[in-house]
Amino acid sequence: MKVAIIAANGGMFDAYKVLNIATAAAASDAEVGVFFTFEGLNLIHKEAHKQLPMPAGTEHYQEGFKKANVPPVEELLGMAQEMDVKMIACQMTMDVMSLEKEHFVEGIDVGGAASFLNFAKDANVTLTF
Amino acid sequence: MEVTVNKQLDAKGLACPMPIVKTKKEIQNLEPGQVMEIQATDKGSTADIKAWAESTGHQYLGTKEHDEVLKHYLRKASADEEKAETKHEDILSLDDLLAKVEGNEEVQILDVREPAEYAFGHIPGAVNIPLDELENRFEELEKNDELNIVCRTGNRSDLAAQKLTEKGFGNVKNVVPGMKDWKGPMNTKQ
Repeated sequence: MKVAIIAANGGMFDAYKVLNIATAAAASDAEVGVFFTFEGLNLIHKEAHKQLPMPAGTEHYQEGFKKANVPPVEELLGMAQEMDVKMIACQMTMDVMSLEKEHFVEGIDVGGAASFLNFAKDANVTLTF
Repeated sequence: MEVTVNKQLDAKGLACPMPIVKTKKEIQNLEPGQVMEIQATDKGSTADIKAWAESTGHQYLGTKEHDEVLKHYLRKASADEEKAETKHEDILSLDDLLAKVEGNEEVQILDVREPAEYAFGHIPGAVNIPLDELENRFEELEKNDELNIVCRTGNRSDLAAQKLTEKGFGNVKNVVPGMKDWKGPMNTKQ
């Protein structure tokens, strides 16, 4: 199985949507690639991914996350890296936001739309978050 | 129900997707054919472990709930198991075995699957000796009786039939294909 994901949003909920599917797929022996673009870049930004905002008015879910023992975004991201999830940061967005490769966690690739399309062209599952 | 397993994994308190992520990691330390017990409290884990087994080719045996802890049982797949290469020539079909069982004939059945597989469903009266223990335990069986050997797909039972024939058993039948297609009565170990 091959799974291609576009992560285009940068909130905490978005991080879980992307990383839960990505890690579950990798654990099921799938080849997984995620293309991080626009606010989605927050999810792999060295500092930003550790303190992603909750959507306005949902702060009370904080407690629910604790109660359900949901792993921190940091841990899920580490898990995804460990299981060889391919992560591509969008060059164009990086240019717009004046970001460099070293602003992101280790092991990512930088590429454009064509890089993602090349990965996704024969994917079995394609998702956008 | 006590089930013998080769490995236990504690995934209690963990939320999705961690139980399957841990399972994936841990199953790499098992030999093909070995059985793992995963303890989890995530209510979604039953459906997830089952689906995960389906997509990875491992065998999901079943789940038991005890004191709000879910215990899932998985058996690690071995590459050659699905394509059974039968060598023991004396075989018996499931239908013929069912006729014997239902006909109240005196019928000896040896189930050579792992204890956890046996626990989740076996033919009433079948004796369980896992294939890898047969070498040391074959003397528990009566040499001159007709012995019908069953596993899941007919592969392990084929090896068992060959082994027992070597040991001097005269009337050994490999039941094919095996428990995966058995439609007759079943007991579960309580």
